[in-house]
Amino acid sequence: MRNRSTIWLSIGVLALLHGAVLTAHFVAPYDFAAQDRDLPYAPPTRLHFIDARGRSHLRPFVYRSVEQPEGSGHYVEDSSRAYVVQFLVSSRSGGRRLFGVDEPASIFLLGTDAYGRDQFSRLVYGGRISLMAGLLAAALTLSLGLLAGASAGYCGGWLDGIIMRGAELFLALPWLYLLFAIRAFLPLHISPAQAFFLLISVIGLVGWARPARLVRGLVLSAKERTYVLAARSFGASGFYLLRRHILPQTLGVMLTQAAILVPQFILAEVTLSFLGLGVGEPVPSWGNMLATLQQYSVLASYWWMFLPGLALVPVFWIYHKLADSLHEETL
Amino acid sequence: MRYVVTRLIHSAALLVGVSMLTFIFLRLAPGDFFTDLRLNPQVSAQTVADLRAQAGLDQPLPVTYVRWLKSVARGDLGLSLAYNARVAPLLWDRARNTLLLAGTAMLLAWLIAIVAGLSSAARPHGIADRLIGGGTSLLLGVPELVLALGLLALAARTGRFPTGGMVSLGFAKLNLTGKLKDVVLHAALPVAALVLGALPVLVRHVRASVLEVLQAPFIQAARAHGIPRRRVLFGYALPAAANPLASLFGLSVAALLSGSLLVEVVMGWPGMGPLLLEAILARDLYVVIGAVMFSAAFLVGGNLVADALLYTVDPRIRAR
Amino acid sequence: MTNDKGLRTKNRGLALILPLLLAATSSAQVEPRPQPVTATEEDLVTAGEVGRYGGGLVVAERTEPKTLNPVVSVDSTSREVIGRMTADLIHINRQTLKTEPALARSWSVSRDGRSYTLKLRRGLRFSDGHPLDADDVVFTFRAYLDEKVNSPQRDLLMVGGAPILVTKLDADTVRFDLAQPYAAAERLFDGLAILPRHLLERAYREGKLGDTWGLSTAPAEIAGLGPFRLKGYVPGQRLVLERNPYYWKLDRRGDRLPYLDEITFLFVASEDAQVMRFESGETDMVSRLSSDNFSVLERQRKERGYRLEDLGPGLEYNFLFFNQNDLGAKDLPQVAAKQAWFRDRRFRQAVSAAVDRAAIVRLVYHGRGAALWSPVTPGNRLWMDDELPHPSRSLDHARELLRSAGFTWKGDGALLDARGQAVEFTIVTSAGNTERNEMATLIENDLSQLGMTVHIVPIEFRALLDRLFRSYDYEACVLGLVSGDADPNPEMNVWLSSGGTHVWHVGESKPATPWEAEIDRLMKQQLTMLSYPRRKRLYDRVQALIAEQEPIVSLASPDILVGAKEGLGNFRAAVLDPYTLWNAEELFWESGGSGSTGGR
Repeated sequence: MRNRSTIWLSIGVLALLHGAVLTAHFVAPYDFAAQDRDLPYAPPTRLHFIDARGRSHLRPFVYRSVEQPEGSGHYVEDSSRAYVVQFLVSSRSGGRRLFGVDEPASIFLLGTDAYGRDQFSRLVYGGRISLMAGLLAAALTLSLGLLAGASAGYCGGWLDGIIMRGAELFLALPWLYLLFAIRAFLPLHISPAQAFFLLISVIGLVGWARPARLVRGLVLSAKERTYVLAARSFGASGFYLLRRHILPQTLGVMLTQAAILVPQFILAEVTLSFLGLGVGEPVPSWGNMLATLQQYSVLASYWWMFLPGLALVPVFWIYHKLADSLHEETL
Repeated sequence: MRYVVTRLIHSAALLVGVSMLTFIFLRLAPGDFFTDLRLNPQVSAQTVADLRAQAGLDQPLPVTYVRWLKSVARGDLGLSLAYNARVAPLLWDRARNTLLLAGTAMLLAWLIAIVAGLSSAARPHGIADRLIGGGTSLLLGVPELVLALGLLALAARTGRFPTGGMVSLGFAKLNLTGKLKDVVLHAALPVAALVLGALPVLVRHVRASVLEVLQAPFIQAARAHGIPRRRVLFGYALPAAANPLASLFGLSVAALLSGSLLVEVVMGWPGMGPLLLEAILARDLYVVIGAVMFSAAFLVGGNLVADALLYTVDPRIRAR
Repeated sequence: MTNDKGLRTKNRGLALILPLLLAATSSAQVEPRPQPVTATEEDLVTAGEVGRYGGGLVVAERTEPKTLNPVVSVDSTSREVIGRMTADLIHINRQTLKTEPALARSWSVSRDGRSYTLKLRRGLRFSDGHPLDADDVVFTFRAYLDEKVNSPQRDLLMVGGAPILVTKLDADTVRFDLAQPYAAAERLFDGLAILPRHLLERAYREGKLGDTWGLSTAPAEIAGLGPFRLKGYVPGQRLVLERNPYYWKLDRRGDRLPYLDEITFLFVASEDAQVMRFESGETDMVSRLSSDNFSVLERQRKERGYRLEDLGPGLEYNFLFFNQNDLGAKDLPQVAAKQAWFRDRRFRQAVSAAVDRAAIVRLVYHGRGAALWSPVTPGNRLWMDDELPHPSRSLDHARELLRSAGFTWKGDGALLDARGQAVEFTIVTSAGNTERNEMATLIENDLSQLGMTVHIVPIEFRALLDRLFRSYDYEACVLGLVSGDADPNPEMNVWLSSGGTHVWHVGESKPATPWEAEIDRLMKQQLTMLSYPRRKRLYDRVQALIAEQEPIVSLASPDILVGAKEGLGNFRAAVLDPYTLWNAEELFWESGGSGSTGGR
């Protein structure tokens, strides 16, 4: 019982998270590409409840940040005017946003990057790429793995041999480095959306080997079960056997694998983007947001740039809880 | 015996496959070693073409492949265009460093994983189990990349650890213990990054395998006989759990190797990782092939060792 | 026991005796300190501050050197190391940017400017003690010019399509004959290391010259005329040079240079690793810092005891350019269609007017850089055209230019060309270069305000070059070049329409536009002119044409940022490569200064 509730809770939280990133144009206060060239690398805006005169307010407010002295990179708050945080504001490009402040103040919950772009907005928009890449790539890999593993396990013989040797080959190559070389070989004239799907396909295609082996093992053992043998002796075709008796056995494992693979693929996207092989500027993804940390100066000076990395932790944690619960459920 | 021979043949075929695929990939990648000379206004395009021809880079793919095979037979693995030296000694130096790192990490990770996994499994949902479980969940969520970066920032900030390299400047002048201490200090953070990255999966698997074994009737029988808990764990449960763990060994070798390549690049350990990355970016054909083959051979070797381990620790397999 | 030649003892017997020997000697010097000599006319006396002997210098390099062979080396680290071990006939002083005598004591030029007669200093020796004479010089140039050796330096020595002729006149006089007069020909000699014939002639005759002097060569087999000679090399870790006891430069007091006992080059993985090592005190000097790292170091300067210098803009110029190559033979319809825009001068000028150069300097270089409107940077005091206008950013002017070229805007602000096509293109950059990627991001944002949709695609460097020079499969590109010398002649191939690095339209068989033909004419004219003021006038005209036609939209140039430990004497960094080590022979540790002699 407790397990069931964990599963549904995890799924619920994940749905909420994915919903938030998919409605980024509402949840995020700014557009992901909007640059504020006067506020590069600004630290997170502080929310105040107590004003300069010591009075406390229910609604939080912010002060405007100015660079003081000019060009130093050091920011101070201009406490001459308070800007209250407003909800359901109408945005410049039409439509509404969850929260915001009046110009010229800004509300940078997680600070800004080198071009003065709001990191919180980019985190939300970036989740679209990173989280969805994980989901879609996992789906692709599992489908391929299922296909390959079922064929290998059920048919056996030379097909099994080829598929399994292919799987070993795929597992043996250091993909990260070879991908470096291949990325450059891909066409340039692709929109960010196409680049995204290409990225997913690459991640997904590379990872089919491990689920394939798992499925193969399951199919092999399921093949010999008495009820399957019985059905076969009754004249059931291969497809029927697979569809009706064998593959349902794999459901539990597949679900668990999905919950394990998604975070792995999110990580793959993050790593690829970190190394410069993912979606390009100005489209954010959690990986290319972390990429700036490769510069020592950023690592040492701007702590808020680490936060997209920390965003991964709760997501992974939920997926793993889900995987564990599913595993226990389907044992 | 026949099984061993078939496995060896399979491994050899795998290695050949890997080499061919790598060659093809490198050929597909645009540009070659001399491409960056093209940007130099002081070197003419004709000179670049001549250099290319001199190095044999304009030959068709099968010819280059055969040339490489010959160099393998000779034992020198070809010539590195970048270093203008034989590839084999170049690789061996770096491979030693990688093996040192990965080997130490492997040993440490497994030791800690076995102890942690056993303590978790001994009392499920107990305090130790919850703590260890929480710790591994947290670690699972942190990408190895972020881990390596974080440790590097730690080194830079505190100044207690060196920020890269394997030995200090004055290494040659140190005595033996000094040298040992120096290498340990330099290796501490990269090994930590690798171990922390590998631990979560290992601990969970040890825990799961031991838990499963603990359900078995013979364990209950042993407990019923009054054999103390600790002896049951180490003497009975662990050997029985060795089977799935030995299979895991092969997989963890692969994960650790690829992880070590990344950690080496980020943390500045002079191993195969930076060499391979630099060689790919420079299109140094023979170094790339050599390094990839080394990793593949290491993986295959790891799998073979895992199988051998399986054979020795599990009497059920031996009996078959 | 190891392949580390010379740095570790080779057998246990020696390991026992050595400590005793070391204890017996009072100092741990590698070579006994040179005795002061009276300077003759054969020695070169340097103008730097008089220093003290002793100590070593530790420098971190971002990449490993690839070879120690001056004939085949191309990468900057190899050349930096080789430059400390070798000497040239005539050297360009990095601070004044003018030539001065080096191994050649003096030289004379014939009236028609086609013949240079150089007199070598007498009594000079290579680092192994072997004497230098004119035969070494003749051998050296024969090696550089030999087609079979295929040295990348060969093209430098081709004047008027023919190689320079080298003749030995007597034991210390050599004559160089050029096919046509060549402006500033003496600058050609800078960086051409003179090779020891006694060590390399046999390899040359056997056709193996390119294979010699790799990194693992024994120090005894390498000899040069530079201030230092090879001591040892540990693969993947470091390379150590020691003082050359036969070096031919003296200081004003008559002491033989160099002051330092050794230089150690540490190999680190990246610029950030370089910075970390410098910050922690493991290295003594750091060169070409990025502005980010400079700011980080600046904050810790007082506690850590080092000094940082901002030398102003160097010779690097970053620019955006569009693909104007002939795509007839290639199957690239999308690119070809867009070239209608790229070939229109007004389109390029509009892009130039819309780019926010001030923001690039402020955000990418943190203010430590200069905005550029021409490829000649303010760091090139001798050749920059001061009269060029520096128009400030104006989106209105850009829109006006686009309107006059037939572009229109849709309701939502998107830019359409005369045929109604939306203006959309990709800019490729090198994935490894953070600064240029940042510039591209800023440009993308600027151009989006004109209604253009721009995608930035960082790709790996070699793949980028492959697209630029072979497949022509790109639309626009942000690239950077560093001039090797202040003089315009080495850059000929960039500006000549037939040049191999004429990036926007590589290797034209004939100039595609009248202004390119004009640039060809001007550049060829100044090539053979010997008077600097007249050359400057011609080159100013070239710069004006480039600024007007914008085949490349010049963006910005970073300042040269360097750092060194306090107490390092004669540290005078320059804006020309090698920025900090060009006067390595003059560097010394002041009393009380902390040098890294190894072991920490």
